[in-house]
Amino acid sequence: MALSAAKPLIRRHTEIGIFLIGAILIVIFASTSDGRWANLYNIGTIMQVTATLGLMSLGVAIVIGTGEIDISVGSTFGMGALAYLWLAARVDPAIAAIAAIAVGAAIGYLNGLLITRTRTPSLIITLGTLMIFRGISIALTDGFSFSIPYAARKGWSYFLLGGGDLLGFNTALFWLIGAFAVLIMVLKTMPFGNRLLAVGGSAESAHSRGVRVDRIKLSAFVVCGILAAFAGALEAGKLGFADGSMGRLMELQSIASCVLGGCLLAGGRISLIGALMGAFVLSSIQSYLVVTGVQPQWFILILGVIVVAAAYGDKSLRQWAIKR
Amino acid sequence: MTKQQPLIQVKNLHLYFGSFHALKNVSVDFNAGELIGLVGDNGAGKTTLIRVLCGIHAPTKGQVFFDGKKVERFHPKLAIDQGIETIQQSVGLCDNLSIARNFYLGREPVKRVFGIPFLDLGKMRAKSSRIIRQFGLRENVSADDEVEMLSGGERQSIKIGRAVEFKNRVVIMDEPTNHLSVREREHVNELAVQLKEQGLLVIYITHDIFQVHKLADRIVIMENGEKVADANTDSMSAEALEDVIRQGGRMVEKREAV
Repeated sequence: MALSAAKPLIRRHTEIGIFLIGAILIVIFASTSDGRWANLYNIGTIMQVTATLGLMSLGVAIVIGTGEIDISVGSTFGMGALAYLWLAARVDPAIAAIAAIAVGAAIGYLNGLLITRTRTPSLIITLGTLMIFRGISIALTDGFSFSIPYAARKGWSYFLLGGGDLLGFNTALFWLIGAFAVLIMVLKTMPFGNRLLAVGGSAESAHSRGVRVDRIKLSAFVVCGILAAFAGALEAGKLGFADGSMGRLMELQSIASCVLGGCLLAGGRISLIGALMGAFVLSSIQSYLVVTGVQPQWFILILGVIVVAAAYGDKSLRQWAIKR
Repeated sequence: MTKQQPLIQVKNLHLYFGSFHALKNVSVDFNAGELIGLVGDNGAGKTTLIRVLCGIHAPTKGQVFFDGKKVERFHPKLAIDQGIETIQQSVGLCDNLSIARNFYLGREPVKRVFGIPFLDLGKMRAKSSRIIRQFGLRENVSADDEVEMLSGGERQSIKIGRAVEFKNRVVIMDEPTNHLSVREREHVNELAVQLKEQGLLVIYITHDIFQVHKLADRIVIMENGEKVADANTDSMSAEALEDVIRQGGRMVEKREAV
């Protein structure tokens, strides 16, 4: 009986699953790594990786909310990084970051336009643009990498755009917190959020109530593009350099974060906090494998196993919760 | 009936879904202050016709006039802005949203803070639950509950409550009494008459000619995408109209030289 009291809670909070997984993994990681995982320096590194992956995942979650998917974010991330680095060596980093955001918005707009105008599934369109912008990145860098000269790695705007630490954490983390706060407010308390989730729940019904479905979807792709490119700029600010393969496979990690975090791929039900927790769990696994000396190639395999297991577990949990 | 300009005038309307000819040369006038029963079998084109009127489908050929003006663009938003409220049969509710959020979807009341629109959630909850309760929503269901959890009748009560709340000039009801109990059914039928008496145009779609004959001023019968009969209820009995439907509309050309 006590268990069935939890049903409404699970029904409303799809992210419960990932928090359970996260809690279990933290205990395991902390107790089996001899202090190499659970220390402030390592947690700081995990948070930095979480910050950029998390920003991407927030954008992907918004798109998933409309019932679509954006797998081009890995390339958008790379394009944002390159745009930032190329300009930051020449003008103020703040202007470079705005340019990176504009690049991301343009890619998102292109995705959204192709999907809503041609009525082609977003999976295939963004698979195409994933490859197109990866190709452009590689061509732009011509096999080398873009970097900011050490002399230019200074100043407030450089520091605030991933190039420095604040209170022990990379500044990217604070951008993530800001973006999360804004998006959760839009999603829960503004008409746009209501319509966005309605489109994901039933595009036909939303349309019949006068919602401009295509506009909502287009906006979601633009938001997603902006967040991915900005995440790329922050990552570039942290590293100071990037090559044409920057962000490769991050699209899969961000989608995995969303799904693990309780975002329903069919649309209409997303959890932003869950997506962030998903990003944190993935970053933690990665870090655990590194500090325990497991070869990094195992990461993707273990990631896959966890995604399959968590997706199955989550589905069973929800089905149980929906039963009256 | 005095001759007035029809509120909605449909002229030689054709609609194709791919190669399927869903509406064939339909012409019909709808007047303000009239309750019209739109009757026909499954697949007759009733729902398709009203989906043109409420902006979901754009016609392939032919014209629609609203208030004497030709309708150039079809979108539910435009129809709603013109004052056309529709109780749709299979669409209109998003399962993933709460009752209050569904109720106000597309026309959410907002409170502005520094010009930024925020949902007026308090008003959304209080008003939607007060209105829907009149149409059979259980007391223990909260306006924050998701529509997914509701029964067919309760879902219907949201759609009806919503149409009544936002009623403006036209209320279209597509099988409004489906899933409802006998008492709720009577309530909805009374409501249709009340709306008409308030000067609105009410278009009532049903299979049940006998039920709607009691309420309506005029019955329009559709069959295979065509209008096959259009008669005032005081000039034709329900039995005669049922005959028309049973004959697939074939008798009509002879009988109805109106």
